[in-house]
Amino acid sequence: MSGSLAIRVGLLAAAIGVAHVAHARLPVASPAEQGEPFVPRPEVARATSLGFAAVLADYYWLRAVQIVGGEPNPEHHGHLLGRFIDVVTTLDPWVSHPYRFAAVWMVEDEEAVRAANRLLERAIEYHPDDWRMHFYLGFNHFYYLGDNETAADALEPAVRLRGAPTYLSRLVARLRADREGLDTAEAFLRELLKSAPDPYAAAEYEKALDEIETERRARFLDRARERYRERNGRDIASVEDLVRGPSPVLERLPPEPNDWEWVLHEETGKIVSSFYMYRYEPHVAARANHGKEGEGS
Amino acid sequence: MISPQRVSAIATNTVREAIRNKVLYVLLFFALVLISTGVLLSTLSYVERDRILQDVGIAAIRFFGAAMAIFLGVGLIHKEVDRRTIYTVLSKPLSRSEFLLGKYLGLVATLWLQMAVMGVGFAVTSWLSEAPLDAGHAYAIGLAGMEAALLAAVATMFSSFSTPLLSALFSVGIYLVGHLTRDLRELGAASGSEGTATVTSLLHRVLPDLESLNLSIQAVHGLPIAPAEVAFAVLYAVGYSAALLVFATILFQRRDFR
Repeated sequence: MSGSLAIRVGLLAAAIGVAHVAHARLPVASPAEQGEPFVPRPEVARATSLGFAAVLADYYWLRAVQIVGGEPNPEHHGHLLGRFIDVVTTLDPWVSHPYRFAAVWMVEDEEAVRAANRLLERAIEYHPDDWRMHFYLGFNHFYYLGDNETAADALEPAVRLRGAPTYLSRLVARLRADREGLDTAEAFLRELLKSAPDPYAAAEYEKALDEIETERRARFLDRARERYRERNGRDIASVEDLVRGPSPVLERLPPEPNDWEWVLHEETGKIVSSFYMYRYEPHVAARANHGKEGEGS
Repeated sequence: MISPQRVSAIATNTVREAIRNKVLYVLLFFALVLISTGVLLSTLSYVERDRILQDVGIAAIRFFGAAMAIFLGVGLIHKEVDRRTIYTVLSKPLSRSEFLLGKYLGLVATLWLQMAVMGVGFAVTSWLSEAPLDAGHAYAIGLAGMEAALLAAVATMFSSFSTPLLSALFSVGIYLVGHLTRDLRELGAASGSEGTATVTSLLHRVLPDLESLNLSIQAVHGLPIAPAEVAFAVLYAVGYSAALLVFATILFQRRDFR
């Protein structure tokens, strides 16, 4: 009896060992994880949810979160995220966070921003009392699409909503008047930073605020460059020319943090921080060129 | 004339028999595991964890409630025929209708007992995770119970004239279609064809509209749920189940057990 038991235990151990060794040699990633993930059409997902739409929405939401958490440049996956969030919000349109998540990350290009805006319009339909949805929609129109009037129109209904910050009405007025946009962008971004939906988004807003600060200093240098041209009848050969010579136009260059410096961009000739290597331009078409400028330099 | 005492005796016996079924406990165990797994799943998201936790919990209750209703319902009559106990029972002063009704009510009582245990598991998990709980959750779980009762009626109806395997297939089919009838009606209305719209609208009326018993999204988001909506949903489930049972008794009356 004890011999028989020992044989069985031995067989069990051997079987477990074989299974373990074989399993350890199998590829961990499933074929479904290779290449671009499959996202069903929202109406198909809804029709096949068979009463479990909420759980299915959670499943696609978690997959969208994994993209942002697992990719080094999640903003480059805006279209994919958009498809996930469209499915999530079709299955469960009363969700709140996924709409704002889409607004933060769907900024890859103009098409992605417009898709995010369509989702935000759905958000407003299901959350008519939530001023944040109007705020994100207004921000997208202003910051990425460069359409101040539409941004003001999108933001205006939020002014009357409960919980809306008091400065919203001033922001609407500023949108209708401020063409240059730096102050307006900063006001938007500071509010977005306060109510950032997640740490990743907060980091993006902080970066954008830093870009604005850098742009302010760069514009100060632009004005100095203009004075240099008027005074000397020629352009600067390097940014340091602004503080050199017998009659420099500036006493010193505005400091850049961590020893980054001001340089002339090789292709555009613009004064840029060596950290960014491009000038701040909020609109998506302009932002798309940032990558090209960076590659060229 | 149906005697409540005789129906009650059959129902009590059915509950006793059902709670001895070990498979039921396995299903209940998995349901409770899935409900508590919601805690783990919700940690994969950095926001709206309460929503994910409760979505999974209510879905588990609804899924296992429906699975148990079909699993137990399809064997309701067949077991009695298989073990030949039906001959003894029907030889007593008991009509076939009373027998069928008693079996069905016993099954529903068993299902509701199981779902109440799952409901307590859901409430405890929510409470421990500090997720909000209100009347909406009770409505959603209550209507899940009504959905299970309706599915039990479907399974009972099929089991009154068919084999367990076929009854299970038919019942699962009705369950799937029951969650699609609203989409079918919408598709028909959008098709632009009057004939298609009429057919899909008719299907929506005739087949069970199980989505009308699904308030899980509203409950989890804390959306207002009108008590009248819940009352009409309960009335719908009761009426539909009663119609199925009347139809089942007609079929069962004609069934030859030789």
